[in-house]
Amino acid sequence: MTHIWKWTIAVFVVLLLAAFLVLCKMAGSPKDVYGMVRYAFPHMHRGTLKVGDDAPDARLVALDGSERFHIRERTGGRPLVMIFGSYT
Amino acid sequence: MVQIYNDYKDHADFLTVYVREAHPTDEWQMKSNVKDDVCYAQPKNLGQRVAIANDFIKRFHYPIAFGIDDINNAAEAAYSAWPERLYIIDESGHIAYRGGMGPFHYDPDEVRAWLAARYGAVKHDPPAPASAAPVASLDSPK
Repeated sequence: MTHIWKWTIAVFVVLLLAAFLVLCKMAGSPKDVYGMVRYAFPHMHRGTLKVGDDAPDARLVALDGSERFHIRERTGGRPLVMIFGSYT
Repeated sequence: MVQIYNDYKDHADFLTVYVREAHPTDEWQMKSNVKDDVCYAQPKNLGQRVAIANDFIKRFHYPIAFGIDDINNAAEAAYSAWPERLYIIDESGHIAYRGGMGPFHYDPDEVRAWLAARYGAVKHDPPAPASAAPVASLDSPK
């Protein structure tokens, strides 16, 4: 029984190490792996929207910081291409 | 995306939605951020986010219409948009195109293909040969 447990733990450690190496390759360095796991993964969501769904509405702020508008106000006459992102 | 905007702005509307920072200095900052001098902490209030967005606009002379997600990140949550994502909403207010999750599946060419299927492809001259003098690009990053 002890023998099986040792093998199970060994396989688990090897898999964990392999996953870490793959993440290092993806992210660039162990520091980046930490950043990815700690800060990126909790915020990355595939989401449930699909083509054909009603486009959700949300209130946005204009560049002056005070004027507000809704996404729905920009839809209707023509297709609306939405580009989500940030500077960093 | 700026090129796509320039090619199709007579047919479609474009809106940039500014969301929470992807690589702020106090979270997962990347070496490229330091190299490109794009170093900002994660905004803690709307004013800070607005300020960073304005810095971006000024630095890249970004021409596309802009809306900033409120600090409660409602738009980002509704569209699962972090760190970057593309959508097209059709005239009836439905999702017509839903892009993959960035950064690995963020693909402006898919947006171009959707617009081209509707309004025709826009061709561009091939880039100048390497022997030509380099020209600083004002295009913002994708």
